[in-house]
Order: sequence, then structure tokens, then C-alpha cells
Amino acid sequence: MNQFIQVLLFGVTLGGVYALMASGLTLVFGVMRIVNIAHAAFMIIAAYIAFFAFTIYKIDPIISLLFTMPIMFFVGIAVYWLFFARIKGAARTGELTVLLTFAIAIIIEGILGYFFSNIYRSANPSYATQAIHLGPYILSEGQFYATLLSIGLIILLWVFLKFSRTGYAIRATMQNTSAAQVVGVNVERMSMFSFGIGMALAGASGSMMSFLFTFYPGKHWEWIAILLALIVLGGMGSLGGALAGAFILAIASALVGYYFGPTWSPITFFLALFIILLFRPQGLFGKKMEA
Amino acid sequence: MALLEVENIRAGYGEGPDILTDLSLEIEQGKTYCIIGPNGAGKSTLLKAICGLLHPREGSVTFKGEVLNKLRTDEILRRGISFVPQDRSLFPDMTVKENLRMGGYILKSRSEVEDRIEEVMVMFPILKERSSQQAKTLSGGQQQMLAIGRALVLRPEIIMLDEPSLGLAPKISQYIFDSIIRLKDTGMTIILVEQNARKGLEYADWGCVLDLGINRFEGPADTILNDPRIQELYLGRQGKASQEKTV
Repeated sequence: MNQFIQVLLFGVTLGGVYALMASGLTLVFGVMRIVNIAHAAFMIIAAYIAFFAFTIYKIDPIISLLFTMPIMFFVGIAVYWLFFARIKGAARTGELTVLLTFAIAIIIEGILGYFFSNIYRSANPSYATQAIHLGPYILSEGQFYATLLSIGLIILLWVFLKFSRTGYAIRATMQNTSAAQVVGVNVERMSMFSFGIGMALAGASGSMMSFLFTFYPGKHWEWIAILLALIVLGGMGSLGGALAGAFILAIASALVGYYFGPTWSPITFFLALFIILLFRPQGLFGKKMEA
Repeated sequence: MALLEVENIRAGYGEGPDILTDLSLEIEQGKTYCIIGPNGAGKSTLLKAICGLLHPREGSVTFKGEVLNKLRTDEILRRGISFVPQDRSLFPDMTVKENLRMGGYILKSRSEVEDRIEEVMVMFPILKERSSQQAKTLSGGQQQMLAIGRALVLRPEIIMLDEPSLGLAPKISQYIFDSIIRLKDTGMTIILVEQNARKGLEYADWGCVLDLGINRFEGPADTILNDPRIQELYLGRQGKASQEKTV
């Protein structure tokens, strides 16, 4: 029983970070109806920024999100203007955006590989290897901070979406794009802004990733696969769904890893993906998509 | 000078063909217009071209002497033209109150929006009763009232309604038409697109018959109602109009 709770705690502290990573992806999908395959590649960029800030300037990776978030926000705005604004209204926009984000992911991977080579990296601030003792249980200090911070950021995002005027406009666009246009929401601007926020969240995720996991330029393929499983489970475009999906799968993968061995842990995500697509393709909290 | 002038507009979607080929129409202040015509005649397209959801390829839309062609929807809303689309276009997961608030999205002052929401709730008391309910839980008639109410938050000079009675039971659709009369009594200019042409014309001052993207015929609503040619071609014989509604 003790072991079970220990594994559960491990899963929970992982879940918050997964939720943060998934929240940006699901927000962008919700507003723009595009699956940003490059989301995890942007996380890797931010992880490199945080890594070098730590190794060269001794800036704590957690503090680094103060600049990875704004940097990635503006990168997001630029990417939106350079690419997405141009293909808007084209025939087959849906297919085009998948190809486009796929290409962006490959380009990012190539550029990062050229400059930083493919060696595995990970920042190691003191808390990355420390443990917090909770009675008989042990929590990784780094994971604990990262999860708390992630949940904090998600709450901030929720408050922003729920109460600000722009938040209303973004939710309106998510729920019914044409209705949003009818009441005078500038849908184009909301899409750009949401993409920026999505990228800022990828930036924060990258800062966390820099000390929680090892990374290298090609690592984003593994991450995007996991993140897609999380948001498909929760229901694409639903923030609450991303949160639930992240915790459910983080805990499930921790349990699978413990009882069947760590090599089986990654398969949890894909198994969950298959099952959910077979039985509830709209996700746990998603609505059935209308054609 | 007419309040709103549509002159020789040509319009269509994306790279598709022209839906409106050469359409002209004059809207006078305070009158109610009913636009009828077969499916695909361009009725909804006309309304979208007026409110900036679609930019005309040629021709002009002029409101109080100002050309609206290139303006965004929010800029046109600000000038006093509101649109209630055919599918009602609500925000399903937002409450009735939040939907009404979104109606005042382009207004800066929150207290002003709240005041206007109160006015709308006086007009449609059911919206007050249901104010904290999600829009998706409302009945069809209530959703239509919410959609109209949301457009009224801006106190528009012109309100354009696209098929407000579509899919509603006769009693409910009667209530919606009565509300339109109440709007008319406040001096508002109304442009109504109705599949149920007979019903729409009964409530309008002026009727326009659209066909293949042009304004084929227009005149006082009762003249159109009783014109044998129009009856034959567009209104259908007795009783046929009500069947059309279910299409």
C-alpha cells in the first residue's frame, strides 16, 4: 500500500507539468482549430534557453520562465504572422496547418541540432536531485516545485480566460467562431494572441523540462506524441480536459512503470490513445465535433 | 437619401462563384423589409455583405453616406447595424447573461453594457429568468430570443434577422414575430429574411424578391403578397409556404 501511494505521488507531481505542456497545445487547438505538431519543438527551444541561462549565467531554471515565456510569446506572434496568417482562408487550411507545423518542427530540430549537437542535456540546480520527505513518502523536490508552478500558471490562465474581456473573446471564439465575428470579436487578432499565449506556455514548459528531463533536439517527437495523447483523452480544446488527461495519464504511466517495469511506462499513453479513439473519440470532456 | 444603400454589389465566398451578381436595394429609416426568394437566391449572403462578414467584390454598401465595403464587422456594429444569423450563433457553454455581455463586447463601459442587458431582459423576461443557465440548455425559441436580445444590446439602428422563425413551433414563431413588431414600434429599421415568405411579408412594409443574386422585384409588402405572378412563383399556392419552413 505504501508503495502504491508513493507511486501515486510520483504520478501526481509529474501530472502538473504534463498539464502545463498540454494546456498551450489545447488552447491553440481550441481557438484556431489547428494541431500544432511543433508545440513540443518550441518547448525544446525554451529548454535550451533555460539550460544555457543556467550553465552560463547561473540563472535558476525556475526563474528562467520570466524570460522564456515572453520570448516564446513573441516568437509565437512572429510565427503566426509569417505562416498562419498567410494560409488563412486557403482551400484545405486544416491539412495545410498540419503540414506546416510538421515542417516547423523539423526546421527547429535541424537548427537546434546544427548549433547544439545531439548530445543529451539537463540543467542540474540543487533541487533537481533533492528529495522532500513527507512522512514515509518521498517527493522529488524539483518535480514538486515544477508541478506547483505549473498548476499556478494554469490557474492564472483560467482566471484570465474566465474574467478578462480578452478572455471572454477567446472563449467566445473557441465556442463559436462565426458568432464571435457577429458580435465584433476580431477573430484574427484573438487567434494570433492565443497562439502567442500557447507558445508562452510552451516556454514555461521548456524551463521546467530543462531540469526535470534530459533533452536533445529530436526529443520533441516523443513529447508531442505524449501531449497529443493527453489532450485527446481530455477532449481537444478543453483546458479542464487537458488537466484531467494529464493527471490521469501521468498517474497511470507511473503505475504501469512500477508494476510492469519502466520500459512499459511510455506505452500507457498510446494504449490510452487507442482506447479513447475507439470508444470515446471526442475525449472525456470534449463535445462531439460537428462536420 | 436612404439610410442604407446597396448598389450593384457582386459577392461570393472565398474563391467560389458570385452568389450576388448585381444587387441593388435601398433601405429607408424606420421601415421593415422582408426579403424573400428561393434557396440559393443570396438572401443570407446579402445580409453578410452588409455587416462585413463578407466583403463585396464590386459595388458598394453605403450607410448614412459612408461606404462600408472595406470595414470589419466590429466597425460596422459600431455604426449601428446588427445581425442575427440564421443558426442563431450563440456561445453554447456561456450563460445567457454572458452571451448578452458578449453582445456588448465592442462597448468599453461595463456598466453601460449591464444597463442595456437590463433593457433587453425587460423585452424578453424569459432571459432574465434563465440568466444563469447555459445557452445550450435553452429551447429553440428561447435561443432565438437570446440571439435577438444579444444583437439589441448595441441598440442598433438597423437590425438584420436571418430566418428568425426557422425550426420553431407556430406559437413560438408567432411570439418572435410579435417581438419584431415591438422593435418596429421603437422606430428601429428591420431587414428580415424569411423562408416563410407569406408570414414575413404580413409583418413587413416592403418586400423584395431575390432570385439568382439580383433584386428581381420589390414593392409594398401587401402588393407583393397579392401579386398573382409572385404568388405563383415564390409564395406557392395556399398552404405551400408553411411546408417550405421545414426544408
